[in-house]
Amino acid sequence: MAHSGVPHHLSYPRFLLKVLDRATDGTWRFYAWMFVLTAIALVGANTWAWQVARGMAVTAMSDHVSWGLYIANFTFAVGLAAGGVMMVIPAYLYHDEDMHDVVIIGELLSVAAIVMALGFVVVDLGRPDRFWHMIPGLGKFHWPVSMLTWDVIVLNGYLAINLHVCGYLVYTRYRGERPDPRWYLPFVFLSIIWAISIHTVTAFLYSGLGGRPFWNSALLAPRFLASAFVTGPAFIILSLQLVRRFTAFKVPEGAIRRLLDILRVAALVNLFMLAAELFTHFYTGGHHAAAVRYLWLGMHGHHELVPWMWTSITLNLGAVAVLLTPSLRERRVVINTALVAIFAAVWIEKGMGLIVPGFVPSTLHELVPYAPSIAEWKVTAGVWALGLMVFTVALKVGLQAMTGELRAPGAQADLAVEAKEVA
Amino acid sequence: MLPVACEDPAGYADRSRRFADVPAGDGSRHAITVHRPASLSGIVGTEQTPQGQPVEVSCATCHEVLRPPPELPTSARTLGGPHSGLRFEHGSNECRSCHDPERYDRLRLASGESVPMTDALRLCAQCHGTQHRDWLHGAHGGMNGHWDLTRGPRLRNHCVDCHDPHAPAFPRFRPMPPPPDAPRRRADHG
Amino acid sequence: MDEKPTRRVALKVLGATLGAAAFERALSPLRELSEITSVGDFMQKHYRELSRDEMNAVLRRLEDETQQRYGREVTIRDVRPTEGVQFAYALNLSVCIGCRRCVDACHVENNHDRPTHQSYIRVLEMTSGSMDMEQGNTGYDHTVPAEGKFYMPVQCQQCENPPCTKVCPVEATWQEPDGIVVVDYNWCIGCRYCEAACPYHARRFNWHKPEIPAAEINPDQSYLSNRIRPQGVVEKCTFCLHRTREGRLPACLEACPTGARVFGNVLDPNSDIRWVLENKRVFVLKEELGTRPRFFYFFDV
Repeated sequence: MAHSGVPHHLSYPRFLLKVLDRATDGTWRFYAWMFVLTAIALVGANTWAWQVARGMAVTAMSDHVSWGLYIANFTFAVGLAAGGVMMVIPAYLYHDEDMHDVVIIGELLSVAAIVMALGFVVVDLGRPDRFWHMIPGLGKFHWPVSMLTWDVIVLNGYLAINLHVCGYLVYTRYRGERPDPRWYLPFVFLSIIWAISIHTVTAFLYSGLGGRPFWNSALLAPRFLASAFVTGPAFIILSLQLVRRFTAFKVPEGAIRRLLDILRVAALVNLFMLAAELFTHFYTGGHHAAAVRYLWLGMHGHHELVPWMWTSITLNLGAVAVLLTPSLRERRVVINTALVAIFAAVWIEKGMGLIVPGFVPSTLHELVPYAPSIAEWKVTAGVWALGLMVFTVALKVGLQAMTGELRAPGAQADLAVEAKEVA
Repeated sequence: MLPVACEDPAGYADRSRRFADVPAGDGSRHAITVHRPASLSGIVGTEQTPQGQPVEVSCATCHEVLRPPPELPTSARTLGGPHSGLRFEHGSNECRSCHDPERYDRLRLASGESVPMTDALRLCAQCHGTQHRDWLHGAHGGMNGHWDLTRGPRLRNHCVDCHDPHAPAFPRFRPMPPPPDAPRRRADHG
Repeated sequence: MDEKPTRRVALKVLGATLGAAAFERALSPLRELSEITSVGDFMQKHYRELSRDEMNAVLRRLEDETQQRYGREVTIRDVRPTEGVQFAYALNLSVCIGCRRCVDACHVENNHDRPTHQSYIRVLEMTSGSMDMEQGNTGYDHTVPAEGKFYMPVQCQQCENPPCTKVCPVEATWQEPDGIVVVDYNWCIGCRYCEAACPYHARRFNWHKPEIPAAEINPDQSYLSNRIRPQGVVEKCTFCLHRTREGRLPACLEACPTGARVFGNVLDPNSDIRWVLENKRVFVLKEELGTRPRFFYFFDV
């Protein structure tokens, strides 16, 4: 531990410089990928700037459907962030060795997904220039009454916790030191509870509104969590395989297997709750079923969301069937296709399929449909691109720290042994 | 520290801004005036002035002279002169139900009391008691001005402002255009 | 070997500069923001935090901005509630004929956006014998009243337990002592959570900068009600507080040709509104939600 003698105020700036250097270094593939993402983010930023200047009339939202694609993606991104915890729980609560090696990927995904979630909130604001009104002490923070203020706290808190845990681990690896459990383990356990809270609070945003029967269900928060534990692991499993393919990092097969197990259970629970919700609505009938009827069957000649929902349920059921078939377990391509399918299915179900029917029919039972405008798609793509950029760079730096490539001059080389000790 | 919302939720930094500084009134109240429709003191003829304005003729112009009155017509159809073409759709009433058969420029209450045209409200109220009661309490008939009579007057509509006494059903008409963002159905256009 | 890293760093700096320039270019439409906001607007405190002097300065600034942006001299006042006054509104569904005069009067009085013909009131054409809004229709465009229909205008119900103020993350909307729920248009961040929370479709968002010809502007304005709203904020019916807080009747009531609307101070036992509440069988919309509206409906008899 030759480096541990260097005081932090000298070593930390050097560390940051090194991180910056590594984050911007890579193969042609890396540069091409980042170039494409930057281009998309630029289109998104430009469209968003127009939206701020000219007004949100460039979106397809209206006083009837006052939230749309942005808030749908916000909800989905929060789920993705919460889903990362499904690596943390096996790694730290069940001491799953394989998972422990790659747990940082889940934490970094949480960071990127929270950045996206916050991005989607910002692009949905009519007056982002007044963002400071929400800063406690400076503006007027309507806490604890407004659920949105709770969401601001839990999302930023979750971001801070994960940044701290990842940052601390990467920094100690850089210095060639052994991470002090007192400095990160409490935060890891806090992040587990916190992950549940971010998606619960986000569900409460909607389920607390008595005037919107479609959302006004106690099952919303559990459903959110179940679907988050589908999308999170699905995204991570796919990422792990990409990491294995494009980097020197060793991805243990056990981690992928464990995540698939979690996903199978979560997908079934998610489907079960969806069925319970659908039964309650359709069997009861009446006004409370109006939104669900519109969503799944169409109403008064309007069928805008019907193809989306049937696509979603088909993908979902198909993916679950594949994932539960023992003979297909070793067919990686089939499994991966199923993962992409279930990811897309939940994106539809939880995005457009959850936000839009809250507004259709409206509170005066007017049926005004909504389909996102080109501008909304561009901005949405931009925020996704931003999220993927954050994820790519974070993964790059994080994994290099894990393999020992990101190391202070003179710091101890072999860390793999030590990592096991810490676990 | 996060500010906890246990303070007055509508608290004002400057307490004096919470309410208006109301000038101490002298307690006097403004009047409620009932609009006096022109149709109660005359009729608008079909003739026009050289300027193209319709000629307004007060009841007295004819009815002060035509005395004793000619026999009351039995129905609107037999009406002639300035009153020809009158549409009559007011239940089973006939002319004498409301008009004073002795003096056509006046009305006659059920009690036999003869009242000037401008007192039509009392006559209407004889049958339309519930509407009259609601009207007295501001729950029937349009108005303008102030809800707070200590600050200003109020002008009330008279029965005849909205209801033609000879055909009192409120007329049907085209509404203002629908909101542009309303879902339109084919049946909306009639 | 020493030169290569230097060249790499140089290339990276070049790339970063190009990237930053590209983002600066992409965000350039934001320069147009000066048309919808100002430094004074950005720095302004919350309505309830302003002292009288600060309030007056804000009002003068807003008058100037209206002059600059809309070419019309207007008076913007800060009209405060009167102690001992709580407003309530009642609407006689037996008398309403669905003519939308109230909708139009609101549009004119409150300086609404002209192209969208915005208004705080929507009139539902309902089927006789049913209170089912699902059978209602706001888009009717035929002679009224139609056979077998009744008409139900809906606007802000000025709830005593308003779901909309609860959800606002920045306290940009709140209930005043006279019961009117107001919005500080200069504090609202435009998240539209209140629009989602309102069970009566009472709130409107300014999807673009309101357009209104100078000649059509109602120059008698107040800060919390009918001044021309900024782009990107939420607005709502205020029972015309610039009129009603000074004793006048709301514009929608005066425009009603049938006298279906009754307005007044519910704390005054001799008021018309009290008589209606005590003598008519009134009801409120969506009572089961516990919002406790100050807007009542009734049928005759």
